[in-house]
Amino acid sequence: MTSITQSLLAARDVAKRYGPVVALRSADLTVEPGEIHALLGANGAGKSTLVKILSAVIPADAGRISVHGKQANLRKPGDAMRAGIGTVFQDPALIPDLSLQQNLRISKLDRDDVLPWLERMNLGHIDLDLLAADVPLAVLRLLDLARALARDPQLLMLDEITAALTTDQAEYVFELMREWKARGRSVLFISHRLGEVLDSCDRATILRNGVHVAHLDLAGVEESALVTAMLGEELVEKVEAVGDEAAVVTAEEVESRPVVLELRDVHLRDRVNGVSLELHKGEILGLTALEGQGQNELFQVLSGDRRPTSGELRVEGERLNARSPYDAIRSGLAFVPADRHQALLPQRSVRENLSIPLYNRARRWLSLVGDEEQRVEQAVDRLTIDVRAGRQVQRLSGGNQQKVTIGRWLASGFDTLLCFDPTRGIDIQTKAQIYDLLREIAGGGSAVLLYTSELREIPLVCDRVLVMYAGRIVGELPAAAATEEALLTAAHGLNEGTAS
Amino acid sequence: MTALGRETLVSGSQAPWRRWARRHGWTIGVWVLLLALIAYYATLIPRFGAFQVASIVNNGSPLVFLAVAQAIIVIAGGIDLGVGGMLVLTSVTAARLMEGQPLVVGLVVAVAIIFAAGAINAGVGWIINVSKVPDIVITLGSLYFFQGLALAILPNPAGGANEWFRWLFTGSKTGIGSNPWPAIVMITITVTAIGWWLGKTRQGLSLYAVGSNKTAAYLSGLNAARVKVLSYAIGGGFAAMAGLANTAIAGRGNANTVGGNLTLNSVAAIVLGGVALTGGIGSVIAVVPAGLILFFLSPILTAMGVDPNSAQVVQGVLIVLVMMVTGIIEWRRRLRS
Repeated sequence: MTSITQSLLAARDVAKRYGPVVALRSADLTVEPGEIHALLGANGAGKSTLVKILSAVIPADAGRISVHGKQANLRKPGDAMRAGIGTVFQDPALIPDLSLQQNLRISKLDRDDVLPWLERMNLGHIDLDLLAADVPLAVLRLLDLARALARDPQLLMLDEITAALTTDQAEYVFELMREWKARGRSVLFISHRLGEVLDSCDRATILRNGVHVAHLDLAGVEESALVTAMLGEELVEKVEAVGDEAAVVTAEEVESRPVVLELRDVHLRDRVNGVSLELHKGEILGLTALEGQGQNELFQVLSGDRRPTSGELRVEGERLNARSPYDAIRSGLAFVPADRHQALLPQRSVRENLSIPLYNRARRWLSLVGDEEQRVEQAVDRLTIDVRAGRQVQRLSGGNQQKVTIGRWLASGFDTLLCFDPTRGIDIQTKAQIYDLLREIAGGGSAVLLYTSELREIPLVCDRVLVMYAGRIVGELPAAAATEEALLTAAHGLNEGTAS
Repeated sequence: MTALGRETLVSGSQAPWRRWARRHGWTIGVWVLLLALIAYYATLIPRFGAFQVASIVNNGSPLVFLAVAQAIIVIAGGIDLGVGGMLVLTSVTAARLMEGQPLVVGLVVAVAIIFAAGAINAGVGWIINVSKVPDIVITLGSLYFFQGLALAILPNPAGGANEWFRWLFTGSKTGIGSNPWPAIVMITITVTAIGWWLGKTRQGLSLYAVGSNKTAAYLSGLNAARVKVLSYAIGGGFAAMAGLANTAIAGRGNANTVGGNLTLNSVAAIVLGGVALTGGIGSVIAVVPAGLILFFLSPILTAMGVDPNSAQVVQGVLIVLVMMVTGIIEWRRRLRS
């Protein structure tokens, strides 16, 4: 082990528990000057907890942290900043009701401090008088990064910063990371995209269940080796099996099945510009797009949240004029959002969260308590949610929360599942379970519309895939042809000539 | 980047005056509404002049100060049901201590009361932080506490104030007259100062930050607990201003004034003034006309020949209408995004 004295940051035996839940058992992390260090682990492994402890957002229960060999007593975020640790957290730390300029002021920064960094990210002309609430998430992440960089930290910690970014935006981040390293500073990088990690990081610390299980030099390491370290041997086989199980249905076979959901020339203001599609029984239809191409709005229309300005939705041939999600749900359209906080009641139990959709039917209000038990038990079994179902949902890891949002529909029943980026920020193992589950749902005769930003996973789960650009469907590909390259080309609107 | 609608993010994409009008639309609207109501009132009564204006401004000033107090606390994410009690407490204390004293002593007492009220209310904020009990519960307690304390200090309406002290808040040594200017100056100076502090200084912005998103504010390195104490302290100070104005107007203290009603009026005023009860949004500059409008409703209705007892009905309807308008604005904003 490297000597503590010369390391930029050394954390030893850090532990943290939330009530009965152990988030970190005993984690070690050493970051040397001038390196890009990856912190890897499945969801719930304790990465974010460790980052929060290092940036003094939450106190550790045990453990020692030293910066430049000196014992650091970090009690509030300001202490960490002063110690030279700058963090970009998973959730944007900008105040929605203040302008960007005012946001800078409360963090004791000036326009001139961040401007050079914003220019590097092609945001040099951004209007700092905008309210943060009016700025897209991806830009907020980059602003957060600029704000962290402006403080000139010795150690820059990036928690899942690339999850919300487009490929070109992520490239700016990598460039800045490399520059930081060249200046002899360090970066701690957290990402679920192992490709990024291997491309840009020097070393990695891997956490599993709150304990560090490996410190690796990443030169010449294979992605599979990382996965093995993150999941442990026994789980890897299970994950790899997903690809084989995805018995993709042929195009002719899909065509012959009845259409459950049909969209005809749907418009929503200037965001959705004439989307038509057919979703067949038992198929998983993929949808992908770059950030902000109208996919959010399309799903809002499908889930009954917003009404289209023109065009029509047909569910099993019948026209659906949904005024609210209630109407959509009654016609069998179930929606799983990317943002789990949107869907869950964080302070209520898993069981209660699973049974919410059951409350819909007034005639069952009295019989509910007795009846829900069984349905909920089944859903818990099927999802392998690793908890006692009585526990508060907010205590679950992100992956398990996402399982609950899908599971509630399993408990209540549906015809069509609308999934919007259900695997965003979720670890490989849970991802595999979710994809397994989607295939199983389709196999049972339901239809699934799956929007995902992870191009690589489309051929694994989908039967065919649509590509959206500027509010329209610009391409359709069978799963087999849906290579990352083909999808990216279509997603940038480059082959509009072949649009359907 | 093209995907994110860059054009709208670039500076200069929106004319500055349009943005200004959009950001401050509510404030402008409330001022216009106040002026329109005054103009309408002028046509209703046979004689409209300085006496009427002075009567509105002077008698409305306690509610204005109280609404500003409430606005500051609500902007920082709290709510203080105790401000009405604080008004009564400071008012009777001032009446008791100032009776028969020269102006200088009166002024010293006034300043001391403002600071003491700030300190006591800071304590309320501190208790909320430490106990982690919701603001509304703790301040319900402080409301009763202050009201009870006021009764102990002055069981029956009594006390007095120096006549020049009365002039400071009412423009008249008897508390009734045709000079609105001292009250206007008093309100303008204090509210402009606090508005500038809230909107332009780092400390003031931190109130908005904590009220808007406590977690993000904490992650930005702000001390949310300290901000809460600060907001309650300043709110307490403004509640004391309201209490002093009340003593100056009445010329004595009355602990039988119901503080709870005053608190509810202050909440109604900030709602009309566009302060979001969820915190983080609003301007004290808009709260001033809102407070005056609420006070002004009953004279208008009387002049219109409406039973004064139904003024409360109108007040209630007005609050609901205002909430509906804010709801519609929010809904339209969501549609546009």
